[in-house]
Amino acid sequence: MTRKCSAEPSHAVHSNWRRFRRNRMALLSLAGFVFFMLGAIFSLPTSARWYNVQATDIAVRSQPSLDPVVPLERFFDTSGANAIPSRLDQILYRMTSLFGHDDLGRSLTYRVLPGFLVSLCIGLGAALMATIVGTLWGSIAALAGGRIDAVMMRIVDVLFGLPYILMVILLKVGLTEPLTAIFGGQTKYADLIVLFVAIGGVSWLTLSRVVRGQVLSLREQPFIEAARATGAGHWHILRKHVFPNVVGPIAVYATLVIPQAIMQESFLSFLGIGVQQPIPSLGRLAADGVEAVNAFVGYWWLIVFPCTILVFTLLALNFIGDGLRDAVDPKSNAPTLV
Amino acid sequence: MARNVAITCFLLLGATVALFRLGTGETRADFTYVNPSGIHTLDPARMSWTQDLRVALNLWEGLTSSDPKTTEPMAGAALFPPDISNDGRTYTFSIREDSIWSNSDPVTAVDFIRGWRRGMEPGTATDYQFMFTDHIVGAQEYVQWRHNGVTLLTILSHLKNGEDIDEKQATDLGKLPEFHRLAKLWMPEGAAGSIENNDVPNPAELIQKIRKAKVDWEQVHQSFFQRHVEQLDARFSEVGFEAIDHNTLRVTLTQPCPYFLDLTAFPTWLPCHKSIERLREQYAKSPLTEQGLVVFDPQWTKPGYHRNDYPGLITNGAYSLIEWKFKQRARLRVNPYYRAASEIPCKTIDMLVIDNISASIMAYEAGYVDFLPSLAVPYDHEIARLAATGLRNDFKSCHTLATYFLQFNCASERILGKPNPFLDRRVRKAFAMAVNKQAIVENVLQRGDRIAHSFVPAGLIKGYESPAGLRFDPIRARTLLAEAGYADARDLGVVEMLYVPSDDKIIQAIAHMWEKNLGVQVNLRCEESKSFAEDKANHRFMIARANWYADYYDPTTFLDCLVTGNGNNDAGYHNLTYDLRVAEAALAKEQVERMALLSQAESILVEEDLPIIPILHYAELIAIKPYIDGLQPNPRLRFSFQYVSVQK
Amino acid sequence: MIRFATGRLLGGAITIFSVYTLTFLMVIAIPGNPFQQSQHSLPAEVEQALRARYNMDNNWLYFWDFLGDAVTLDFGPSFTYNDWTCNQIIADALPVSMLIGFLAIILAVLIGVPIGVYGAVKRGSWVDSASLGVILLGISIPPFVTGSILLLLFGVTMKVLPIGGWGTVAHLPLPALTLSLPFAAYIARLMRVGMLDDLQNDFIRTAIAKGVSSHLVIWKHAFKVAFLPVLSFLGPACAQAMTGSFVVEKVFGVPGLGQHFVNAALNRDAGLVLSTVLAFSTLLVLFNIAIDLLYTKLDPRISGAAG
Repeated sequence: MTRKCSAEPSHAVHSNWRRFRRNRMALLSLAGFVFFMLGAIFSLPTSARWYNVQATDIAVRSQPSLDPVVPLERFFDTSGANAIPSRLDQILYRMTSLFGHDDLGRSLTYRVLPGFLVSLCIGLGAALMATIVGTLWGSIAALAGGRIDAVMMRIVDVLFGLPYILMVILLKVGLTEPLTAIFGGQTKYADLIVLFVAIGGVSWLTLSRVVRGQVLSLREQPFIEAARATGAGHWHILRKHVFPNVVGPIAVYATLVIPQAIMQESFLSFLGIGVQQPIPSLGRLAADGVEAVNAFVGYWWLIVFPCTILVFTLLALNFIGDGLRDAVDPKSNAPTLV
Repeated sequence: MARNVAITCFLLLGATVALFRLGTGETRADFTYVNPSGIHTLDPARMSWTQDLRVALNLWEGLTSSDPKTTEPMAGAALFPPDISNDGRTYTFSIREDSIWSNSDPVTAVDFIRGWRRGMEPGTATDYQFMFTDHIVGAQEYVQWRHNGVTLLTILSHLKNGEDIDEKQATDLGKLPEFHRLAKLWMPEGAAGSIENNDVPNPAELIQKIRKAKVDWEQVHQSFFQRHVEQLDARFSEVGFEAIDHNTLRVTLTQPCPYFLDLTAFPTWLPCHKSIERLREQYAKSPLTEQGLVVFDPQWTKPGYHRNDYPGLITNGAYSLIEWKFKQRARLRVNPYYRAASEIPCKTIDMLVIDNISASIMAYEAGYVDFLPSLAVPYDHEIARLAATGLRNDFKSCHTLATYFLQFNCASERILGKPNPFLDRRVRKAFAMAVNKQAIVENVLQRGDRIAHSFVPAGLIKGYESPAGLRFDPIRARTLLAEAGYADARDLGVVEMLYVPSDDKIIQAIAHMWEKNLGVQVNLRCEESKSFAEDKANHRFMIARANWYADYYDPTTFLDCLVTGNGNNDAGYHNLTYDLRVAEAALAKEQVERMALLSQAESILVEEDLPIIPILHYAELIAIKPYIDGLQPNPRLRFSFQYVSVQK
Repeated sequence: MIRFATGRLLGGAITIFSVYTLTFLMVIAIPGNPFQQSQHSLPAEVEQALRARYNMDNNWLYFWDFLGDAVTLDFGPSFTYNDWTCNQIIADALPVSMLIGFLAIILAVLIGVPIGVYGAVKRGSWVDSASLGVILLGISIPPFVTGSILLLLFGVTMKVLPIGGWGTVAHLPLPALTLSLPFAAYIARLMRVGMLDDLQNDFIRTAIAKGVSSHLVIWKHAFKVAFLPVLSFLGPACAQAMTGSFVVEKVFGVPGLGQHFVNAALNRDAGLVLSTVLAFSTLLVLFNIAIDLLYTKLDPRISGAAG
């Protein structure tokens, strides 16, 4: 049997896009995702000022409403340069109570929006790291075979077996000081790097096993052997013959790493690792919002908005991923079985 | 293939469920409560967690016990009140005739001394050892002597096994009083005198010398061991515990202690049944281990443990333990030999462990549980509201003898590479006055806590007048800051606050207040509790959260923490006048005078120096089903189940 | 095959030893005092006595002592829970976790495989999109939220399942289901993509052209190859699921092993950390070997070279 033996020719970009466009779900997801993303980015200058505006006297856990609960002047430093709200700010101000307010009377809208961006960065960063390291590690191990394979896989096992909590606490202890020194006393950046290392350091492990398994079964295929016989180098074989054939599981895995990384960030924040309070992230907003699930009273907005955005983001990313995969897959025109 | 996978899965699924014991659970106890996070230890000498203390006080009975309503001391295993000498230093207790262990042995004076002696042993590592060493004649000396013995014998036992010692051990060794006697072993006769001038020898040199010394360490260990064992009982007899006869016990204090009878109700002072001896390491061979420790098989607290003919845990309280499953549950049953055992309404008590307090509230709502001693959930403000508005009478709030506060680093010259601004008390005062405690308690937490203006919870300790403290005053705060040379608060640089995850809400609110009221930039540093404790103890912080729970009913349980050199003085606070006031109070003859001195001391803390900012005194929420009688909310959350009855 | 298995077992032993050594180094390096219990700072004398008591005053001695005892399955005392040995703790918790984890993995396979297969077969249809949506709900809603909602629904509102306590069959379904959801999502997605790849293969197309029924093609031929990525995922997934999940155990009050991984590390309970790590890595190694063996059996194209 034959598999995809070569990468796509470059002039296919146009036809890829046409194929992608045919996938309605993917297109819809892409549109929604881009829309939301743009909204979050454009409101960022405002939400960066507003995400920690506390109104503990009037707005603690106040319900979502169309009319703002917190007066306009609370959002502006009357003595500072922003004394007069701009037009955009006035429009954005109308939405401050749209998602309700949290335990400290902060506008959930302007916590969810930047939180979405923060979490997306974390998720995508972790997914990228997992994909690159995991794919390379797994396929090199499988192609090299023998002793190298065994050693590489044992390293994966060892990393997998280590107690994660100890590892991240040590990472924090060991890395924070030197990194803070590098960044001139700014602990913020040091914390972010520690976070990425803590999440990315383990997220590639399972992927490398999956890729290795795939590549192992590919290795014995005639077309790879043929390529080898023609004297193709390892890198050439990897790039031209192996990667195109394992891209499916990798794409799937990468999109699934995102929610886990986002959740992991909220767990790690309990160990003091990750984005510092009061900077919001979706994972932590959801973790804080779990108080809404209780036997007495429902502050539903605290959990519903962060979770909904989380779910829609992931759905969209998965549909887009599927669409992209189908678009670049030369055989996607194959007849569908019933 | 697919069918095979499916069939295999189903078969395995069925088999597992079938294999899992289809136990229907045992019959429900008369009274069930939830102990969040489970029991850490049931060894009264080792315990320090409220939930452990609670179980212990139902299993054992001390010389005194706590009134279920007020937690004032009342009669326990001994007649009340005991005979107190005129100078207030000698207490003579008469143990009641009807005080009997759960295996029908009578409780004797020796049983108490056994428990206390165990509590002072280095091998037991009692958290509350200070309850003996601070008050009892000779206790400090005995503990120190024992500790030196253990250090020496531990090092010698390493050496005799042919192992090297490390630098830390060498340093310890050099500090021991026996060191010079030991040093003669590798020193030529004449040179022995020279090292006596050199008080603490260089550890690296010492390691080299020991390595080179041609000494039979086996024999050296043996001789020191023998010497220590021979002195053991004689040394202990110098401690102020004396069994006059079977039922009479005399305790001699170093100085009068007005709250001593409150201490004797505490688990550290509980008796210990003689059967524990069977589980001592080296039992019937030698009183000590090779390292000089007295160590018991930690399993002695188990009801069904029978190694070496051990009868299982024997206790003298209203209940005895009949089952204990780790992190699942414990079952208590009435001790048939306890006085008036037949009149105790609840014959069996179940303690369930449900780690997730929210789930335990659901269990309570669904009727699986009768009593929750803690409702610390993120939505506790809702529970407090239900309790306060009378919508739910079964939710109750207890004002506890505990304070939540922030502390400044008053010790380090420099923090984060910059001079420490908090060495100046005007800066500390400014920060304290910029915190709106009322907003925190009433708007942010809404839990019904009391606003704290003093370290000692005001109004809960009889005869003690708390100082008024400082009020929220952002304008005065900025003036103070300007006086200290920080007219522009940004000159302070970034102020870092160290906290633990559970404080999220309150810390963010306080940081916001400082940013708004003082104009400083605040950075929040969150750490899990062990790293936090480590950083706090080593003064690696600028401002850190803290809390303190009273160990006994007296202001000193709080005020001692900030005395210079106290192990719990994490702020590194040092003020001679304050230390002097506290010391004077300890020597005061009259209780009124004593309390006045302590109050003066506290006013230095909370009105002048502000090494700490008291924020609030905790209100603990508890849930008691309406059909339960005899459980009283009290400031120390001590609950005696023998008074509980179920009115269904 | 036997040579392969022994080779892998030897490699496994080395893995476990490396994990143990690295963990040990971490335990020594990490700041924090395992012996401090509550608000009181521990006097230096008391701490030193405790270190002597647990052999922790000499690190290398402790390293070999612990390993030697562990080989004879004696893991020594827990530092935090003084009254219990690590053996007792693990013996109590591991069967619970294994049971829940096992149920969860089976549930995940039973949920994930059909969804994945039908998603691939009816690609692009609303069935595909809907099943993807449902399965992604399982992974994108945090387990503590799912768990709390399930508990509230079945425990408080409907009162059909118990809350708190442990030991009856009724305690099993909720934690097993909550634990299985993320695994099910992975399996469904991996299955779907594997099937898609396979259904486009020539041998499948040939089979269809020859008139083999599509049902048979899907379940007999395509499934076998498409299951492989799922299989290599299942190795670590089994080990992970069967050693317990902190969040699921916390939400439902399951007395499993997952809580100890986290709490032991947070408490700096060296004895418990080392023993749980040994238990976990042993399971991990065994599962991976088992999966690799299965792999070579299922995929004839792979020779014994799988290492």
